[in-house]
Amino acid sequence: MKKQANYLKGLRVLLAILFFIPILLFFIDFDSKLPNSLHSLLHLQIIPAILGLSFGILVFQIILALLFGRIYCSTICPAGVFQDVLNRLFCIGKKKRKGSMRFKYSKPLNIFRYLLVGVSLLFAIFGFTELLVWLDPYSNVGRIATNLFRPVVVWGNNIIANILMGMDNYALHHVTLKTITASGLIAGGLALLTFAVMTVFRGRFFCNTLCPVGAILSFISNYSFFRISFNKSVCNTCGNCERTCKAEAIDSKNMTVDTSRCVDCFNCISSCAKGSLKYRFNPVFKKEKTTEVPLLSTPSSPLSREANSRRMFLATGATIATTLPVVSTLAKKTQTETEVKGETGKEWGPITPPGSVGLEKFKDRCTGCHICVVKCPTQVLKPAGLEYGFGYMLRPYVSYKSSYCNYECTICSNVCPNHAIKPLTVEQKKTIQVGIATFVIDRCIVYTEGTDCGACSEHCPTQAVHMTPYEGTLTIPKIEPELCIGCGGCESICPVNPRRAILVKSNAKHAFVEPPLEEEAKDVVIDDFGF
Amino acid sequence: MRRRNFLKTSVVAGAALALNFDGLQAALSSNTMAVEAAPELVAVMGGEPEAMLSKALETLGGIGNYVKKGQKVVIKPNIGWDRTPDLAGNTNPELIKALVKGCLDAGASKVTVFDNTCDNWQKCYQSSGIADAVKAAKGLIVPGNDEKYYKEVSLPKGVKLKSVKIHEALLEADVWFNVPVLKNHGGAKLSCAMKNYMGIVWDRRFFHSNDLQQCIADICTWDKKPALNIVDAYRMMHQNGPQGKSAADVATIKSLIASSNIVAIDTAALGLFNQVKKLDIKAVGHIRLGESLKLGTTDLDKVNIKRIRI
Repeated sequence: MKKQANYLKGLRVLLAILFFIPILLFFIDFDSKLPNSLHSLLHLQIIPAILGLSFGILVFQIILALLFGRIYCSTICPAGVFQDVLNRLFCIGKKKRKGSMRFKYSKPLNIFRYLLVGVSLLFAIFGFTELLVWLDPYSNVGRIATNLFRPVVVWGNNIIANILMGMDNYALHHVTLKTITASGLIAGGLALLTFAVMTVFRGRFFCNTLCPVGAILSFISNYSFFRISFNKSVCNTCGNCERTCKAEAIDSKNMTVDTSRCVDCFNCISSCAKGSLKYRFNPVFKKEKTTEVPLLSTPSSPLSREANSRRMFLATGATIATTLPVVSTLAKKTQTETEVKGETGKEWGPITPPGSVGLEKFKDRCTGCHICVVKCPTQVLKPAGLEYGFGYMLRPYVSYKSSYCNYECTICSNVCPNHAIKPLTVEQKKTIQVGIATFVIDRCIVYTEGTDCGACSEHCPTQAVHMTPYEGTLTIPKIEPELCIGCGGCESICPVNPRRAILVKSNAKHAFVEPPLEEEAKDVVIDDFGF
Repeated sequence: MRRRNFLKTSVVAGAALALNFDGLQAALSSNTMAVEAAPELVAVMGGEPEAMLSKALETLGGIGNYVKKGQKVVIKPNIGWDRTPDLAGNTNPELIKALVKGCLDAGASKVTVFDNTCDNWQKCYQSSGIADAVKAAKGLIVPGNDEKYYKEVSLPKGVKLKSVKIHEALLEADVWFNVPVLKNHGGAKLSCAMKNYMGIVWDRRFFHSNDLQQCIADICTWDKKPALNIVDAYRMMHQNGPQGKSAADVATIKSLIASSNIVAIDTAALGLFNQVKKLDIKAVGHIRLGESLKLGTTDLDKVNIKRIRI
């Protein structure tokens, strides 16, 4: 029988490219050349949609999965597509049996994965998002792109920029990245390693064991209308489909497809010479007419697939429910621990970006995808390590060591898919106080050296830090806290080392200041040069 | 060709002489005036930036006095802040556009513009209108945001600042123009021609921690002096400088001063500033310190000044 053209696979690959390439480029776009509107692709991601409470997107995703199965995992999810890319790279130059057809059926780890997603989400409800931070597929790809790919691209950019500069061409320019931290590198490296190892040995093992999105969609796709299934009458059990299935979901001997683990890649359709495997309209309620053997059931098992799945889900739910009190106390304990660590490890807690409302709110919603780190034009956002405790790890914090938050900029708030940083207008941003500048006079140049400085006041966009008469013609900074928005202009430029004379103390909960006054310009008429 | 041109000119001149136009008389007399010593400092008031610049340059004997054919020119405006032109945080873009054009018309092989900005450089270049102005005039606007662009230069005459990293565009230039905007400044008290030098160096923090006023004077001792300092005082920020908060900080005084004497021009600019806000020259320490480093004079009576009103 001649091989049929596999349009579904073509469509899947096309969609994957259309989602993956823009998302990847958006993450390595160190110079903000791409339109910011691309962030809407990030909003489609499921964990961000859950944490950001984007109900519209969640409903869309549920309907999508209910209709077509886990199409998300093969197209929209950058981690899914990234693993497919890794798989493709691995297969280069290999024979089929060692390359694209190296897989074999395995039993699903249902208890494990449903429990994991349950616990992750439950923890997240109680404000301990740490598990989601590490498991969210989208955020992991974000961290790989931000911390590993972006530096490589910048390095290449700098080489080309230098060559062009020699020819008086300034189309590109030299970029020094200040946002690479050890924690970012480790997290990115760890994610890349995990994806690579799992893909090479077990295909989509990540998606079917560790991934919380995978588990949620697994549950829904048990009921999906369209699904891959066998036409038993023509199958000769050659096993090609099983070896092709990177989700390890096809049991060719029993002619079953575990729809809950199928990621709709449609590779199996191509592999089947008999045309037995097809993507069919085959909803649960139509079951009696299907030729399919119920999911998960061995011949001795009388359970129907949805009953089994429901039982599994309920069991998981019950287990989770019993651990509830434990979790809540654990979560509370971790929270207080973070605070204590914050006080001892660093003088004050982390400064969170404007729009994040406050430390706790931000921590509860951010999964550390680092898109804000990439997009911040002043590179003031950095991925945290352990300096603010384990509970804040990988979240971005505002670092005023060598940079400050631009007064007119709201990019981070506009790109955050989790709404961990809520969208702001420039006018709103100017009223949000993320911290307050505090002045330590006995470190100040004007006090210690008796010379003019004023660098802090110079950089203060609101003149919350302004210069007041001191000795002789000298002036010294004074702070009006009710004008300060905590942008860090003052701290970043203070020349006193290593401990600055002016520092921004974080507001654990962001406060508000009055919007800048719209002062009328007075007409000044002069008719003399004055010299 | 030359002979033909000569003959043509002679015929026209002869005809004009024979007819004895009044206008010609005036032209001839103004010509003799220009031949007299050009003033050391020109101040213009009442025009648009471009008109004031051309008046000033004309009075100083034309841009050809400063820019020769084939030379590499750098123009150093103040582009320190992410501010629009009406807020006067940066040098007027119209002025920069006219100057770039003037240099290219005078035969400059290339005209480069840069500043080591305080706010994000791309935002500053854009918001100030200077990036667009330079591009429109066919000049080259180059980044100054990375230490890589800066090379160590020693300053033997400096008191506190003995060596400093300066932008390579300037090091390679044959001629440069220092084009500050006149404004109030929280640290240095006044930001004008001398203070504008801080944008040619990489590490400004050193200045602030090692006697700001002295370091400003020191950097001006660099032996590659600007051909001309051109002070933009079309709009002047008289308070809350150097960044400014709102349009209320700005006075539109439509003035421009040009001189190669940097101490004199800052002293004169302070005089202009004092027309709007009082500021003692003692507070602006770097002007007097510049004088003691023999960079110029604060005694404007000794300077040949030409004042023009448009």
